[in-house]
Amino acid sequence: MVVCSVVVRRLLAAAPAAPRHVFTGLRWVTSTPVKFNERKYTDKHEWVQVDGKIGTIGITHYAQDALGDVVYAQLPDPGQEFSQMDECGALESVKAASELYCPVSGKIVSKNTEVEDTPGLINKSCYEKGWLFKLELSKLHELDGLMDEAQYEKFLKTDDH
Amino acid sequence: MTFWNQGKALGRWALRAFSSATRSSRSATPKTVFISQSDDIFANLALEDWLYRHHDFSQHRILLLWRNGPAVVVGRHQNPWKETHVGALHDKQVVLARRNSGGGAVYHDQGNLNLSFLTSREGYNRRTNLTVVANALRREFGLEATVNDRDDLVLNGNYKISGTAAKLGRPNAYHHCTLLADVDLDNMKGILNSDDCGIETKATDSVRSPVANLSSMHPGLNVASLMGAVGREFLRSDDRGVDLGKSAISRQLGFTLVNPTDDWFPGLEKSRAELASWGWRFGKTPDFTVRREFAVPREMCVTEGAKLQVQMRVVKGRVASMSVTVPPGFVSNAPEGEVAVLSGLEGQKFSEEAVGLVEAAFAKKDKSDKKKRFVAECVRRVVQ
Repeated sequence: MVVCSVVVRRLLAAAPAAPRHVFTGLRWVTSTPVKFNERKYTDKHEWVQVDGKIGTIGITHYAQDALGDVVYAQLPDPGQEFSQMDECGALESVKAASELYCPVSGKIVSKNTEVEDTPGLINKSCYEKGWLFKLELSKLHELDGLMDEAQYEKFLKTDDH
Repeated sequence: MTFWNQGKALGRWALRAFSSATRSSRSATPKTVFISQSDDIFANLALEDWLYRHHDFSQHRILLLWRNGPAVVVGRHQNPWKETHVGALHDKQVVLARRNSGGGAVYHDQGNLNLSFLTSREGYNRRTNLTVVANALRREFGLEATVNDRDDLVLNGNYKISGTAAKLGRPNAYHHCTLLADVDLDNMKGILNSDDCGIETKATDSVRSPVANLSSMHPGLNVASLMGAVGREFLRSDDRGVDLGKSAISRQLGFTLVNPTDDWFPGLEKSRAELASWGWRFGKTPDFTVRREFAVPREMCVTEGAKLQVQMRVVKGRVASMSVTVPPGFVSNAPEGEVAVLSGLEGQKFSEEAVGLVEAAFAKKDKSDKKKRFVAECVRRVVQ
């Protein structure tokens, strides 16, 4: 059931272009090209969603649940550059200060100041309002090494996470 | 043989010896107790960080025991000016440090024992660690310590004897805590203040609790005896904090004295310097605004009950903007209202340096020494 809702969410999040109408002689057939901005995942429970060269990064539901209530978000500043898996910030909860790792190499374009003001957004809406920062990817091929949604769900079921 | 090669050799021997001896309790990872030879807070924090970053904890756990000279240690995202009188620390010969883990401000002196439980991310469990400490206190000193719902160690249900914090990364993690053995509590209370200093910030707060020394409950208890007790309990417990019996101690890797220097841990000095730097200790402070009001002495102003307000915006530990709002009649040769004293102050460290610049700025506006000194004094009290 979870997989179904995940697939549905993905389809809804895809931004369809205007339908193209093709005249086949007898009737109109509409074909809508679908653009998937699918999320990719790391084994450190972070996600990245790419639009062109800009990636939006956040943490997964599993990660925010494990953290507990986030009381402080230390996010990277625009202009800073990171390589894949560099430490780039931290999230403090009542339990601990957890490191944030940059899932792909690039230069920070913006950070979510709403989350800095209200860190609880990360717990309430980790895939939407609780996004952490955006960066311009310098090595797009790194995305190939990350997990897609199905692979991540499978990863969560193993003991190694 | 360098220490590290010794450690590795010991580790390999221990793993071979251990796996055959303890097949029945596979949940007991090989363990070592490290005792730091240094009492420098920055070197010890660097040592903890070095182990966290470089050591393989998949088949090994370390309990690092350390103590420091007088220091205030704030959490990673705290505001030191909110936690203590920063300006007064130097005269009291207390240093200010910022650790990498979260949580609130603590005071260290030679009567305080620090414990760092270093494990892999999967092995992290702070409740287990605190249970081991509570077991040690019960076994060797007959003290009834419990772990409360804030994951604090409390004695007799009331007194906090330990503060806890943690850092979670991948692949490693650590949980560290303090133990009040025989700390100068009067000094501590005087230094960790909670005065209203007019600071508005999103920095994490400290939660204050009544505290007590362990030595008050068990005369003769000191840091040295505590080190032995906790170390032995750690070595005889399995990964879930369950006691395996006294004989388990000899199957572990024992106590090792360590020296936090580059010779022992390459790259440690650089980390120490970073932890001791102004940029880390103060520059990492979350942005804040401080606003204070001061009653203007009657003789300086025509209006009764006049107030002077100083407001500063501090970003990364430096003054980003500052304004002084003066009441009517205070400055005779200048316009009333807000007097923005921006130029020359921007970029200055939030400290006494800012005071000198305000004095200089006001010297041009009003020739009265008394008023100039009053404004400078207000600013000094804002930066403490």
